[in-house]
Amino acid sequence: MKLSPLARERFTIFMMLFPTFLILVGFYLYPTLYNLELSFTDITLLKLRQGGDPVGLANYTEFLTSSSFFDIAINTVFWLTAISVVCRIILGLGFALLLNSNFLKRMHMTTLARLILLVPWATPPVVAVIAWRWLFDPTHGPINSWLLATGLISDPVAFTANLTTVWPSIVTIIVWNTTPLIGVSLLAALQTVPSDLLEASEIDGANRWQSFRFITLPYLMPTISVLTLMSVIWTFNNFVYVWLTTGAGPGTYTNVLATEVYLKAFVDLRLGYSAAIGVTMAIVMAAFGALYFRFFGLSDMQDKVG
Amino acid sequence: MKYLSKKLLLSAALMASTALSAAADVNLTFRFNDSEREEMRAALDEFEAANPGITVDMQTIAWKDSRDQFLRESAVGQGPDVVHIAFVWTQEMAEAGAVTAIDDLVQYGAFPNGFEDHIATDLTKYEGTAYGVPWSADTWAMVYRTDVLEEAGVSDFPTTWDELLEDSKIVKEKTGKTGFAFPAANQIWFPVNYYLWSNGAEFVSADGNGGYKVGVTKEQLVDAMNYFKTYLDDGLVSQSILSIDMPHDPALMQALIDGQQGMAVMPTNTFRQLLSAWEEANPGAEVPLQSGVMMGGSEGPKTHLGGRTLVVNSNTKHPEEAWKLMQFLNSAPLFEKYYTNQFPAQKTMLSEIEYRPEESGFSTQLAENTRTWGAYADSGVGVGPLWNVTSRAFGAALSGQNSPEQAADELIAEINRMLGN
Repeated sequence: MKLSPLARERFTIFMMLFPTFLILVGFYLYPTLYNLELSFTDITLLKLRQGGDPVGLANYTEFLTSSSFFDIAINTVFWLTAISVVCRIILGLGFALLLNSNFLKRMHMTTLARLILLVPWATPPVVAVIAWRWLFDPTHGPINSWLLATGLISDPVAFTANLTTVWPSIVTIIVWNTTPLIGVSLLAALQTVPSDLLEASEIDGANRWQSFRFITLPYLMPTISVLTLMSVIWTFNNFVYVWLTTGAGPGTYTNVLATEVYLKAFVDLRLGYSAAIGVTMAIVMAAFGALYFRFFGLSDMQDKVG
Repeated sequence: MKYLSKKLLLSAALMASTALSAAADVNLTFRFNDSEREEMRAALDEFEAANPGITVDMQTIAWKDSRDQFLRESAVGQGPDVVHIAFVWTQEMAEAGAVTAIDDLVQYGAFPNGFEDHIATDLTKYEGTAYGVPWSADTWAMVYRTDVLEEAGVSDFPTTWDELLEDSKIVKEKTGKTGFAFPAANQIWFPVNYYLWSNGAEFVSADGNGGYKVGVTKEQLVDAMNYFKTYLDDGLVSQSILSIDMPHDPALMQALIDGQQGMAVMPTNTFRQLLSAWEEANPGAEVPLQSGVMMGGSEGPKTHLGGRTLVVNSNTKHPEEAWKLMQFLNSAPLFEKYYTNQFPAQKTMLSEIEYRPEESGFSTQLAENTRTWGAYADSGVGVGPLWNVTSRAFGAALSGQNSPEQAADELIAEINRMLGN
């Protein structure tokens, strides 16, 4: 049987994509479906060999109606995700504008400043958390020592154990560790803004704010949109920062969805229940991604810019 | 032809010797999570020298992750051959099919004084069969910096929880130092149980009809939460204890070494490490550290009989060699030369221990005032899950996240759920 050129081309494409497809099925689709299956059972870590019994939607119902659900949702959506992502985008944009400014160029500090900005990003999250825990330490930490020396506080503050300071402390660590990526990405986007447009606006009498607001920012929007989406997904699912900083405590005050998944699976041993939380998280993120693209469609923005 | 024959003979001899050596060489993996890693490695070197053909790799992971890690590994046919676990995990491991029954291993050799010479053998049994060998025994006791108490004018060690609180206030007032400090995160589980037990309550108890019930009332829980919360609310300890998991946390240990804290609660091995650290920092000086029995309440003081158990992975391909290693690890020389911070879990060896004078509190506590977790383990709830929900509830109450009443209500509801009531 002789294939037409189009069919041959399709066959070649299919054969080239097939290994990737198999990898995706093996390493992504299968675990996802298995996790979904577990979420409808009462399997525990002690019953891994025997398997769990089906419980229908009981795990989902228990989680969504539990007394801690609202607190965990607020912690995850507001503190962990919204606050930290907004801080990152604003600070990242600030750093990008600073690094792109003529001021640093005149001071011959552009390269040094870029290198310094990259240091937090190059620090592994585990190391970042340990370093910050030491900085926050009430007995030996330099932040407390400085605050006491300057008279701003009279008693040391247990930053990661005090209900007032624990979330700002976690957000500080996340922002410190992850803002450089935003800054560097926005810096790259800033360098695509046509200089003739900026010069033309200057000739037309636009001030710096107007140039930024009506020329620079629209060029940055596609990058900001993608970075926001990625940051939201990374942060929403993030486990490391909260777990290593506070272990979801004090009590369960900083418990978020990702730490709840861990606590239920590997502390309370309830794998089925934990799988249900994982599936809920995936649904929430998928819905968020769909809505985000609907309201901030990237292709639209690219059209506008292009 | 002659040359070829020689070559063939040589090759055959080489192959035979390789095959023989491959058959004789067994590599075991031993997971050991305590801090005495260098000493244990030296002990394993001695074992290897005495048992040619057996080599042992030592692995270490954090205690708090070790139970789940082993359960996960075992479920997929993996994991170390011999594992060092807590007393109270043995039943869970047996239920999960992760460990080998001792009956299947004793065929390779018996202990000098028999299996029953070990303490707490009940904790190793699941459905009547033993699945682990108790290795080391410990309990928690009070530890005092006698010079700090002297400076505050406290002449006698406290004997009740109320006296402990009162003395802490005196130490703070007279010296500005911390009186009693405790790990208030994960391991608040221990002092909380001691408080409840000494006041006639426990989280789970037998209901008299063959079942189990919540053994503590809301009022008793609120009382316990308020007791420990007072230390924080009255500024007697730093709020940072809310994030301290372990009694050997550097912040607590350093405060004791520096004489900035007067009273603490800790297990045996931590006290021995504390003594060593103090003596290293102050060579030749008189040791101002002394242990004492736990506080009493409406009833006498009680702490748990704890310790470590050795188990053999049900997936091991070398049960005989693993058992040989277990026997070596349970021998008297190991505790005399290498694992010196721990007390052996064999009654014969325990009776021969010569305690340091500073350790008298631990020896009295261990001999007279300990109990096992009893119904916690027997009820099927398991000590681990109960421990975790309790620590979280107390953390919530102590930090102010929830009121003690709300935290107590939630904890009782959670224990009832775990009991299936």
